[in-house]
Amino acid sequence: MHSTITALETESLEIARPSLTEGVVLQAMDWKVASGELWVVAGVQGSGKTALLETLAGLNQPAAGQVRVFGRPVGGADDDDAGLWETRRRMGLVFDGSGRLFPALSVQENIFLPWCYHQNRTPAEALAELEPLIRHLQLESLLLRTPGSLSRSWSRRVALARCLVLKPRLLLLDNPLAGLDAVHLRWWRGFLTEAMAGHPMLGGEPLAVIATADAVRPYSGLDSRFALVADGQWRILPDMETVLASTGEDGYHNPTDIRP
Amino acid sequence: MAAISPPSRTTGTTEGSVGGSGWLAAFVGEWRSLTRLGAFILITLATAVRRYRDNSRVIRPQVLGEIHRCGVRLLPIVGFLGVVLGIVFVGQTVSLMEQVGASNFMGTLMVTVFLREMAPMIAGLLVLARVGTASVVELGTARALGEVEALEVLGIDPIHYLVVPRVVGFAAAVVSLTAYLILISLGSGYVFAYARGLKASPMEFFTAIAGAMTVMDFPLLVLKTLLFGALTGWVICYQGLARPMTLEEVGPATTRTVAVCVVGCLMLDALFITVYLLL
Repeated sequence: MHSTITALETESLEIARPSLTEGVVLQAMDWKVASGELWVVAGVQGSGKTALLETLAGLNQPAAGQVRVFGRPVGGADDDDAGLWETRRRMGLVFDGSGRLFPALSVQENIFLPWCYHQNRTPAEALAELEPLIRHLQLESLLLRTPGSLSRSWSRRVALARCLVLKPRLLLLDNPLAGLDAVHLRWWRGFLTEAMAGHPMLGGEPLAVIATADAVRPYSGLDSRFALVADGQWRILPDMETVLASTGEDGYHNPTDIRP
Repeated sequence: MAAISPPSRTTGTTEGSVGGSGWLAAFVGEWRSLTRLGAFILITLATAVRRYRDNSRVIRPQVLGEIHRCGVRLLPIVGFLGVVLGIVFVGQTVSLMEQVGASNFMGTLMVTVFLREMAPMIAGLLVLARVGTASVVELGTARALGEVEALEVLGIDPIHYLVVPRVVGFAAAVVSLTAYLILISLGSGYVFAYARGLKASPMEFFTAIAGAMTVMDFPLLVLKTLLFGALTGWVICYQGLARPMTLEEVGPATTRTVAVCVVGCLMLDALFITVYLLL
């Protein structure tokens, strides 16, 4: 049974990409995410899913409206510096692709860095404390390797570990199931189920999870809710079949229908 | 199909016209860039003071790593440069001055030209060339690939983690490398001049130099080299980190860093000449 704690709330949110000159990419978005929920945000590439996650994480200023994480505003004018850093510690963002690991650090140093920084502890103490989590994520044999020597699937899992060491209550995942082989896909689906239910390794409480997806089929069978980003509009959809029909994943789709 | 617009380019260059409006735009652009650099320096100072004790087990190794990278690893090249500079400048000058009977001014000349001006500038430029340019590429690439945003979402302040250690490392490196450069150059210069027939003993040579120095030379030399190093660190971090960047902009940012650092250090030098004249 899902908890009723509101992890994230948006009010009339409008999102723009700061690096591009195309203006608002997502308009008038009202949304509420509770702990224990998995939301899959579908949309074609370039529709603004990553910009949405970056705005929710406070990396980009919203063009209009407000984002609140556990009741606290993020990225708005009334958000003070200390408040933003504190709020960021309660959420984790795993970036698309290889997860933007730090290439100059080893896998172990990548994972330990946020924990050592916030706890003011040494890497040796981090190893003792975080070993169960590392084992749970099956990363123990990769600790001394460099991010450049890992496959994209393992890099993404290391990025997940780096974010989980802070025990976030809200997890933002940018296209986490894209391009995974069957073994990694099974592991990620298991992890998402654990995260929603609340796992002792993840702090025990149910997490609110938001995952973007170019294709939603890998989420079939999971207890998830769906939203669609298309043509700058935000729509909450009732089930996966509606998403499949909207994105063309349900069968033949005329390529000319795909909007940039 | 809607074309995706290219990322906005804010390289600070002024295109086109070289007429009056072009120069004005260039001046306004440079002025804005200077004020942003000033704001960046103030933010770094505030972060360093406010978070002096925070996260020390992560930040201190970073600071020590930067000191090692900018200072300790440059010691061999500073030693080599010191020997060469001692022969080319110190030794030849001392030898020539004795030949023309101007040995009495040897100490004053060495202090005014070499200790106060040449050694700090050469040490600063060496650190800029060997470590500074590589640091801009490193930071600019990290910015372009989104690693700075990755730090931010982990709740790690990039100014605290990336900028403060570099500024401290560069400042400490230029101070200490200048001291080593002066000692090695004077030593090798004396040996060269002695081989060319200098009659003064080592004690007389170094006493002449010490006698030409004032008490204020020590703190001013430390302050000057400290500022050379810190300014280099600030400019490097500002050019590499302070604004969104694409990979194509990393190269121009590196050359711009070198130009800004050289001009900035020369301006600081001119300021110190005024201070020396007033004392």
